[in-house]
Amino acid sequence: MIRLIRIDDRLLHGQVSFTWVPSLKINCIVIANNKVATDEFQKMALNIAKPPSAKLLIYTLKDAIAFLCDAKARNQEILVLVNSIADALSVAKEINEIKTINFGGIRMKTGAKLISKAIAIDDNDITFIKELLERGLELEIRQVPGDKKTIIDSSVINIPQ
Amino acid sequence: MTVEYLLITAVVMFGHMEDFLGAALFSRPLVLGPLVGLALGDPVQGIIIGATLELIFMGNIKVGAAIPPDVITGGALGTAFAIMSGNGAEIALAIAIPVSIIAEIIISGLFVVRPALNSRFEKYAAEGNFKKIEVLHVASGLTKPLLMGTLAFLALQLGDEAMQTFLNSIPAWVQSGLSVAGSMLPAVGFAMLMNLMFNKHAAVYFFLGFILASYLKLPMIAIGALGIIIAIIITGAAGNSTDSEEYSNDDEQEPVADRQITKRDLRKVFFRSLALEANFNFETWQNTGFAYSIIPVLKKLYHTKEQMSSALRRHLQFFNTTAHGSTLILGITAAMEEQNSTSGDFDTESINAVKSGLMGPLAGVFDSLFWGTLKVIAAGIGVSLAMDGNMLGPLLFILIFNIPHFSLRYYMTFAGYNTGNRFLQNLARSGIMAKLTSGATILGLMVIGAMPVILMPLKTPITIGTQGSEVSLQMILDQLAPGLLSLALTFFAFWLVRRNIKTTWILLGILVLGFVGSILNIFI
Repeated sequence: MIRLIRIDDRLLHGQVSFTWVPSLKINCIVIANNKVATDEFQKMALNIAKPPSAKLLIYTLKDAIAFLCDAKARNQEILVLVNSIADALSVAKEINEIKTINFGGIRMKTGAKLISKAIAIDDNDITFIKELLERGLELEIRQVPGDKKTIIDSSVINIPQ
Repeated sequence: MTVEYLLITAVVMFGHMEDFLGAALFSRPLVLGPLVGLALGDPVQGIIIGATLELIFMGNIKVGAAIPPDVITGGALGTAFAIMSGNGAEIALAIAIPVSIIAEIIISGLFVVRPALNSRFEKYAAEGNFKKIEVLHVASGLTKPLLMGTLAFLALQLGDEAMQTFLNSIPAWVQSGLSVAGSMLPAVGFAMLMNLMFNKHAAVYFFLGFILASYLKLPMIAIGALGIIIAIIITGAAGNSTDSEEYSNDDEQEPVADRQITKRDLRKVFFRSLALEANFNFETWQNTGFAYSIIPVLKKLYHTKEQMSSALRRHLQFFNTTAHGSTLILGITAAMEEQNSTSGDFDTESINAVKSGLMGPLAGVFDSLFWGTLKVIAAGIGVSLAMDGNMLGPLLFILIFNIPHFSLRYYMTFAGYNTGNRFLQNLARSGIMAKLTSGATILGLMVIGAMPVILMPLKTPITIGTQGSEVSLQMILDQLAPGLLSLALTFFAFWLVRRNIKTTWILLGILVLGFVGSILNIFI
């Protein structure tokens, strides 16, 4: 089952394999990203970073959703990694099991605004967040499991840009 | 006292200069403790206090954005106040914990404020003015040592007398309570380290380390050495690799017609990479450090303002990876920049694609290698010697970490440049990373398994039986396994860590447990 879905624009890195994987006893990491899934170089790099205790699957969004819906996914402790709020929304739309989305890191880009020390969102992101909230999902900011959860609610996204 | 205050301030500033020294552990309590001791004329006490603080802050590592308590300021001030008031490690600890938490908040503030400089960096980049970028990067990097140094000096100048009076008024029972609690706190550090590596398959190595220390009374160095041997045997790293021939061809350098970047340039990149985190901030992270490090290459390759400007802007984009392994990406980037400068149709987008594609995965590898394993072994051996005031402790601590660290960091600058992507492909294909990680886990767990016994001697004065025929509980426990209480406490802390309870709470909980245990005479 899906233990966590995390938005992190670095996808798999030290924080993830060091803290989330052991803390949630993850044995299967699914990276859902259309670009990475077709980029042999990135796939290779991510495979170097794979923690030994979990297997790593790199899929396009479509394939990732198919995999997560499959019965095989039931018996595994899965961590899903996406690198944007848009991708998180695409996955959450299809998988009802997902009730919470973890915001791990979204770097600063032009037109964006920091809402927490490691999360920057722009106007597009706000639309996606609104949709996620309307679907009744809990959106929480936490870099590592021991951090205090900061919940993203409508007050966070209504800050005038 | 002012001379001493100034010397201690210098130690704090030296500690915070770590951002220019490549995160080489010079800022750890085990190193700063002896320096503070030296400043106050009591280096041995400094070593002992440094060892105690090192133990308690052992699990305190910097991964990603998680900023740990500032053990530099907290540790140095704690050590200083303890020595000046003629007290021991328990007082140093009582000061170090709160001070390091307050100092962490101040430093986080600095990391929030620094992004204000970003528009300035971008302006300089647009002008192609790399000199100003270098100056601003270094200047911003100096704010942390200057700020924390000033605060430390003020704390000493204004707080010393009050602190001494306060410390002298602490009743003896509180002191002994603190001392017991302090001797139990390392369990939290051990637990945090276990959390990184402990799993069903590797658990045996933890217990092997425990048995070697508990029954066979082997010193930490021997356990570390055995750990290396066992790791090599298990991962088969010593055997002749059958596929070594298969990829040896790939290592041959492609003949490159026009190499402009010299060894000297790459050496500069290596040295500059030590300042990667000087302007660390919460918006763009190590970006200016990356630009600063790659500038010697850019200077060689680009001679017009336009070229330099677009290259600088390229390298001011968000960057974050393990500092120790950053040179691999810098080397690869240098090779790509060189290609770009000679061929007209090079896609510059690919440079940042490679950078951002590699920084996360490599951080995963290098975090576990440097923070998860190398530092643990260095600290295990260093602390075990330093607890008795042995100067070899801090020295070995620095050497065990930094000989592999600086050799790898230097080598990877060149490997990244010369063989670049093929170096990574070889890494991936040869499965050497998987071997390294599992070998590191074996070694790390053996050392951690030995730690509770060697580094956290915990005893109980409880006796059982009726008067006249009492039996010491400790004696019974020792017959089962020496160090059993320490092991039990470590597993208790580990259980709490696994339940995602925040470290500060676990620390406080154990502090209370030790205090109450001391008053009720359950632990000594």
